[in-house]
Amino acid sequence: MRRAVLGFAIVALVAVACAPKSTTSAASGSPAQSCAVDSMNLHAPGTLTIATGNPAYSPWYGGKSVAGSDWKSSSFTGDPHTGKGYESAFAYALAQQMGFTQGQVDWIGIPFGKSFAPGPKDFDFAMQQISITAKRAQAVDFSDGYYNVNQALIADNGSPAIGVTTLAGLKDLKLGAPVGTTSLQVIQDEVRPNVEPAVYPDLDTALKDLKNGQIDGVVVDFPDAFYGYADQIVGQFPPIGGQQEQFGLAFQKGNSLVSCVNQAIAALKSNGTLQQLQDQWLTTDTNVPVFS
Amino acid sequence: MVGPGSSPEVYFPEDGPGDPRIPPGGGSRRSRILGGDASQRNVWIAVASTAIFFGVLTIIVVRSPGWPEVKQSFFNGQEFKESFPLIVRKFVRNITIFCVAEVLVLAFALFLAVLRSLPGPVFTPIRILSAAYTDLFRGMPTILVIFLLGYGMPALNLQGVPDSDFFWAIVALVLVYSAYVAEVYRAGIQSVHGSQTAAARSLGLSRWQSMRYVILPQAVRRVIPPLLNDFIGLQKDSALVAFLGVTEGFQQATIIQQSDFNFTPFVALALVYIVFTIPQARLVDRMIARDQRRRQAGATL
Repeated sequence: MRRAVLGFAIVALVAVACAPKSTTSAASGSPAQSCAVDSMNLHAPGTLTIATGNPAYSPWYGGKSVAGSDWKSSSFTGDPHTGKGYESAFAYALAQQMGFTQGQVDWIGIPFGKSFAPGPKDFDFAMQQISITAKRAQAVDFSDGYYNVNQALIADNGSPAIGVTTLAGLKDLKLGAPVGTTSLQVIQDEVRPNVEPAVYPDLDTALKDLKNGQIDGVVVDFPDAFYGYADQIVGQFPPIGGQQEQFGLAFQKGNSLVSCVNQAIAALKSNGTLQQLQDQWLTTDTNVPVFS
Repeated sequence: MVGPGSSPEVYFPEDGPGDPRIPPGGGSRRSRILGGDASQRNVWIAVASTAIFFGVLTIIVVRSPGWPEVKQSFFNGQEFKESFPLIVRKFVRNITIFCVAEVLVLAFALFLAVLRSLPGPVFTPIRILSAAYTDLFRGMPTILVIFLLGYGMPALNLQGVPDSDFFWAIVALVLVYSAYVAEVYRAGIQSVHGSQTAAARSLGLSRWQSMRYVILPQAVRRVIPPLLNDFIGLQKDSALVAFLGVTEGFQQATIIQQSDFNFTPFVALALVYIVFTIPQARLVDRMIARDQRRRQAGATL
């Protein structure tokens, strides 16, 4: 019997040994904190750590790769560290508004899933053309929107998509979109196609299949349509359910930093900086027809 | 290189009496799990020990600081209910992929293994080719082969070359898994004692006939458990075709995960896989046990 007792003790001990490391739960700062650089709830004190994808695509990220950076720039991709491209420029304007210097901004590359995985984050927020939806807001806290985005269809010459002007006309086409994007949602909810859409791990692979002629068109964020990814912009889509789609920054749930960021976004909106950055980095051609 | 079908003077490892992996007389299945002779007291200790171990583990997980968040994003009932039927529907596509691929793999790999087992110096280039193939495709991660074929071949724009992602996904899986399965077959062929070939040849069977009617039937029967193992591996790797834009189970789970920011669809898919593969794993166990019994009974094969 002694051995049995000893056995139980060992079993219990092994189980306890798997206990989580005790973390001091300091994540939830008081909501009434000040928004000074020293007192904000930051992942790394004195530094604003921003997460985005790698590669980082134009026109959201641009410029020549900075020495020592993980990002590689090409004709379709850029380096967040450069301050070029809409999101990069917005990030530095936002940081400046919040009181950070340019050197106090740090970027890390993450797979998309990490921006909303539960648990402590190794960044302050994710900035990756993330559309705000109610479902997603159950998993993360969003900042206020920093860009109103529409979706557009691009296609190569010779595709049956060229010349189509109605949503009904798109029904029988093989359309593609990157996974997890509202572009895919537009195909499913607005076009409601008879052909199953092709879903790709990222924009790159979707465009490869477009070039290979395996799909008739790719749905992308409107500003992406002007980036020469395909021969023609077929048209843009009305917003899903009539609701304007917006990009927001994604924070860990309950992160008190959101209110400070929102203050800064509001300031950038009211002083015209946001609009000026959009005009500078994004082509917003209003002549692209809307599918009816 | 010496194949099993070559001259009988060559030494071949003795065909052992039983499978060394399983100790003889392993006892009933029940008592093996519970550990030792199943006296009443030991059963109770085993039950209590198991209960304490898993009980304490559960309490630790559920009371961990991050549990509410983990529960919300990995074990979300509502999300599960919504995603499960969609995922199952797309999993049918995985079933199609790995069933079609498995049939082709079994045939192609057998062909490769026989080529590699051809005796005589004349066939050296063929043996080299077959070995090179196995080395090449066993040496590359499956995902690379899928990417290279899936995005490379359609880009060639060749007349008559299909450009369906589905097609290339299956081709890639067949190429990779044939390399593994060919090795399994070869092990089976080499495990058949050389005297079998000698006996067949002395009865007047040609080399081909002795391979076809004497060696292969014994070899294949011996390697059925490892073949099934590779089949289970293939089933799991069918998720990799998602990277070509084929919406199968994994891609469907990813779509929901990224649009809802919730990981529950992956848990749902994991469940589908487990329900699918565990019966097969048990089947392999039973086949090994049956094979073991038959050998111990003294039956030749």
